[in-house]
Amino acid sequence: MAHQRVALWAAEPDLDDDINDTDVDIPIPMPSSTNEMYDEPNLQLDEGSLQAMQQHIAQQAAFAQIPDVVKRFIVHFHQAVLDNNLQEVTLAYESGWTRLTEKYYAKTEWPEAETIAPLVNDDQIFLILYRELYYRHVYSRLQPNVDDRFHSYENSCELFNYLLNSDGPVPLSLPANWLWDIIDEFIYQFQSFALFRSRPASKTDDELTMLGSEGGAQAWSSYSVLNVLYSLIQKSRANEWLKARAEGKTDEEIEEIVGEYGTKPLYRMLGYFSIIGLLRVHVLLGDFTLALKVMENVGLGQKAPFTAPTAVHVSTAYHAGVCYFMLRRIPDAARVFTGVLTWVMRARQYHTRSYQYDQINKTADRMYALLALCHVLAPTRLDDNVMNIVRERYGDQIGRMGRGEEGLSTFEELFLYACPKFICANSPPYDDPTALASMLIPPTPTSPSSQNPSVVLGDPTQRHLRAASSHFMSLTPVSSLKSLLKLYTSLDAKKLTGFLDTSGAGVDEEEVLSWMMVMKNAGRCVGRVQVNTGSTAANGEKDNDEGSRPSESLLSGEWMSISDLNFVIDQNMVHIAESTVGRRYAGWFIRNSEHAARVLDSVKASPLPPRVVPTQVQKKSADGPKGEGAPRTTGHKVAWGGVKVA
Amino acid sequence: MAATAAWLAPPSRTELIENLVSGVDRYNPSNVGILEDYLYHQIRSEEYDCLANLAILKLYQFNPDLFNPDVVINILLKALTAEPFPDFNLCISLLDDRPPNSALDEPDPLPTLLPLLMNLYNLLHQCRFSAFWVLYRSDELEVIRENYTVECAGFEDAIREVAARSVRATFTRINSERLGTYVDLSGPELEAWVAKQRWTFDSSTGVVSIPPNPDNQIESVVIQEHIKLPQLSKVISHTVQVK
Repeated sequence: MAHQRVALWAAEPDLDDDINDTDVDIPIPMPSSTNEMYDEPNLQLDEGSLQAMQQHIAQQAAFAQIPDVVKRFIVHFHQAVLDNNLQEVTLAYESGWTRLTEKYYAKTEWPEAETIAPLVNDDQIFLILYRELYYRHVYSRLQPNVDDRFHSYENSCELFNYLLNSDGPVPLSLPANWLWDIIDEFIYQFQSFALFRSRPASKTDDELTMLGSEGGAQAWSSYSVLNVLYSLIQKSRANEWLKARAEGKTDEEIEEIVGEYGTKPLYRMLGYFSIIGLLRVHVLLGDFTLALKVMENVGLGQKAPFTAPTAVHVSTAYHAGVCYFMLRRIPDAARVFTGVLTWVMRARQYHTRSYQYDQINKTADRMYALLALCHVLAPTRLDDNVMNIVRERYGDQIGRMGRGEEGLSTFEELFLYACPKFICANSPPYDDPTALASMLIPPTPTSPSSQNPSVVLGDPTQRHLRAASSHFMSLTPVSSLKSLLKLYTSLDAKKLTGFLDTSGAGVDEEEVLSWMMVMKNAGRCVGRVQVNTGSTAANGEKDNDEGSRPSESLLSGEWMSISDLNFVIDQNMVHIAESTVGRRYAGWFIRNSEHAARVLDSVKASPLPPRVVPTQVQKKSADGPKGEGAPRTTGHKVAWGGVKVA
Repeated sequence: MAATAAWLAPPSRTELIENLVSGVDRYNPSNVGILEDYLYHQIRSEEYDCLANLAILKLYQFNPDLFNPDVVINILLKALTAEPFPDFNLCISLLDDRPPNSALDEPDPLPTLLPLLMNLYNLLHQCRFSAFWVLYRSDELEVIRENYTVECAGFEDAIREVAARSVRATFTRINSERLGTYVDLSGPELEAWVAKQRWTFDSSTGVVSIPPNPDNQIESVVIQEHIKLPQLSKVISHTVQVK
């Protein structure tokens, strides 16, 4: 059956004539009913019904313009959804929709939901789902205008209303990809709207009125978005389910715990994805601790409770890493990023045609940039593969940042590229024109009282950038200090000041001591304790067995030392001790011994090449190192050094 | 676990607050009063609960009409004392952009005070303790001193604790004058404070000795790798098979 269906619209591209016909401008055949209506002598056509009829005519025209392929696809899709046929729905969603979009709707919108309504017998549920796809297309390929934004919000509300407030769980069965895309898109549209409304300067009058109206204030409000996500989690009891799984309860117990909604895969997946969605929303709003807190039961390992789409893991890791970065827990951030990047590198070849491929790549690029920043702030040894790529892409930026103050602009540039587009929770006061006007006048900057620039509460990204930059600036003396200290085991503080005073800028001893204290502080940070598997990179990491229990909060951690250069000050004398990592040869030797053993086995197991019979040319393909060339056909046994008789 | 356990769930937090912070009720605007009272309790009794304060800021983020600048300034001051945890930055991240609110009785002090607070924070973060005290005692910050820190019990002691943490990690012995500039104390007060820290003060040489702790004992370590038996199991078992 599936093959037949695929062939149905896959075969269409061959029948180009058929398709071209439908694009031709043909006169619209009026259905007989309207003809009769016009023939009615006593009919009074007032404004309203005239408009309705005109609309009806327009719709019919639009309907006739839809290519047949698309119509067939929609009917089939609808049927699959009605039948709860998961495979068909997945197929239609993943390949059918994208292919038809590429072919017909690459630059325009899909037909309106009302237009295709007759094809699906006005099935409202399907139309809601269709509109979800329709608006997603608009947001990704085209520019949504204010109307689109409001309507997509209404549609999302209807969808979630249907899912949450019907009596009992809904009999739908949708693929995991789609569910993740629904949640992802919902948050994306929220983010897009928040960015849109926070720029009042460039709005037309129409837009201003719409935003100022009652409905405008309600649309895409932070509370409603959070409400949706929390309700989904609560309805499906996703948190309890994850906890029960972690504790190893049996299936029956789990069913009891999660209730009737939680047992349905639709709700279970929606609940799980909503947790990740909450992580993302909190990061966008700037609340990093809360973001990590909601992920308590999920943990950051790669073992998702079911095969979640790759995009889920990538999104989780990216946002969790950003949280750790802003919490100044650099080793944790670096570890999260490296983990997911190695995974993505390996899994890349399986995902080339998925809808999320571009997005995964973009997120991966941002993670590389953030890793470069982590490396600058807290250099520790990381997985070599990933570090090579980072060095390849951002090598000179890293070099520039290591040189102190001049590196600040590079740091800011990279941070702005890599950070998520933070948003403001509230909108400017569109309902109050005077307040709005006063907002547009730039505020007078307050007078700075020290070397730091004046602080203006503004664009959220700037705020976060400033927090990260201040940390970077405080660490600028560390690299030069480090290079000096590496050369000594003990050093007088005055001498050290003298060395650092090369520019004659009057570095005094007190300042140097402050730098030393900063360096000491930078050498320790809070990090999650992990179960060790033999080799460590940072000294001081404790071998703690409870490190990776999923119920442990992502926020907990221990003070760890991450610097390999340690020092202490005894009055005015600095004592330095450096720790080095001994040569690690075990892994290499073990790998190669195993490889040699395998080669030996295969050589022993392969059949011996037969004795060469002089009259026959026999090619034997041997596994071993025997040559492939045809054996000699001369018939003479040629001895070493002997002269060959031709 | 010890380091962040207290930060995540301070023992002084009551169950009511715990439910508010960890549950969905934190979004309910009518709960802001409870959290603000808890903040004042922290101020008066020298306790500190970072996550509860962040919850207050989040409520302000969503309900700008609840915004109370005094509360915010108090939260920021408390966060200053939490160095080296990144609390101050987290609080700044949650301070949203607000339209000028004309409904307040008094002019909003936050925009003028915020840069000063950020300067204080930067000085602390860069371990410039003497400069910190100079700025703190200056005329510019009189507003902060008279209105806010005077109510905050133990604010100055808490800042001294921040300095002490850094000093403890970096020094084994330190000149008492230098230490005095770091904590803004001198003479007998300094000696009393040092005694409270359980450091020894040698009055003849004027040197304070700091007892050994994990941070100020250094030794040069070569990290050796541990080869464990399971890693070798494949190689060994292969040899057995071949035989």
